[in-house]
Amino acid sequence: MFNWRKVTGWLLLVLSTAAIAEQYNLGKPASEKVIAGWDIDVRPDGLGLPKGSGSVEEGEALYDQKCANCHGSFGEGEGRWPKLAGGEDTLRDERPEKTVGSYWPYASTLWDYIHRAMPFNAPQSLATDEVYAITAYVLNLNELVDGEFVLTQDNLATIEMPNKNGFYVDNRPDVANPRCMKNCKDPESIKVIATIAGITPTDHFKHDGNDGVAYQESAVGVTATPEVVKTYQNACKMCHDTGLNDAPKTGDVAAWQKRLNQGKPAIYNNALKGINGMPAKGGRTDLSDEMVKSIVDYMLELSE
Amino acid sequence: MKIKIKAKEKDGIVKVKMLVKHPMENGRRKDAQGELIKVHHLTEVKAEHEGNVVFHGEFGMAVSKNPFMAFAFKGAKGDKLSVSSVDNQGLTGQADVIVK
Repeated sequence: MFNWRKVTGWLLLVLSTAAIAEQYNLGKPASEKVIAGWDIDVRPDGLGLPKGSGSVEEGEALYDQKCANCHGSFGEGEGRWPKLAGGEDTLRDERPEKTVGSYWPYASTLWDYIHRAMPFNAPQSLATDEVYAITAYVLNLNELVDGEFVLTQDNLATIEMPNKNGFYVDNRPDVANPRCMKNCKDPESIKVIATIAGITPTDHFKHDGNDGVAYQESAVGVTATPEVVKTYQNACKMCHDTGLNDAPKTGDVAAWQKRLNQGKPAIYNNALKGINGMPAKGGRTDLSDEMVKSIVDYMLELSE
Repeated sequence: MKIKIKAKEKDGIVKVKMLVKHPMENGRRKDAQGELIKVHHLTEVKAEHEGNVVFHGEFGMAVSKNPFMAFAFKGAKGDKLSVSSVDNQGLTGQADVIVK
């Protein structure tokens, strides 16, 4: 399995390990044998499969002995153990039955999984040919191959799984917010975009434009300094994000409007002196009056 | 309908496990449109060995989907066991297996 990425990766690892070993006299370089022990993945195109073969018939005997206890004689699953067969056309149901036949897109995953993790009580105890045989039998349970079928390293990749085209590439970005690495603004002046779910500093870039803001949906622009936001998170969030002890939730417009009707000074006063379940300054008497007021402003801004 | 069977002999006793693939609709379930799903269940499953009936079951709507059955009888390796099934819509299933 010559995959240049893998090879260079290992090479780098081996080189750096060697360098560290020299420097600190720790560890030892990974030998080829050690690497082979870890490098057991199998790709859908069959890359990584060792030479071997196994028939459905051999697989049945092995399956009854090693797998049927949990997965059931016909792959129907004992108790709450995983089903391996059946469940065709149930993926859109309220309770889809995800089995090898109904859900898995590639047969190679089956081989890899059995080889890697099965049987549950003795993973990686199966010989290569046994893995081929059991894989063949599970495919047979799903009526994907007939009873005479013999699975080998060459024909595994040619097996078409029913749900092969049921997957798509999720193209949503992992992180919507680019990080500023150079030419950044003074952190004190960074604008903070806050949602109830969390706080995201954005707009780190000095030059004009909106480069830093990629995700602004349902977010509220807030002028609070990072210090205020951080103090809110430490001192107030526990009750005011969750509504604990009947605290008005940050973001609950109606609840805050009711309080705003008494005027801002009344709210400041309540926050400083305490009201109902809330102790003075939320129990954080170490905070300055100014800080408490700023936090109130921040919470009001989030609840407009 | 498809019937899966495993029959194994040990000390003169053949142990049989079988599974009939069948939706077993009880007629009371509703589909996404709120319409009742038509009742559709097995009414009879029968296993014969050398001309003798060794298993006979009358099924109704209380039996779950893809019913699994197991039973045992006196027999030998190489014997033929044939299983047949009928459902309330008149569909039939048939499968033969050689005892291992």
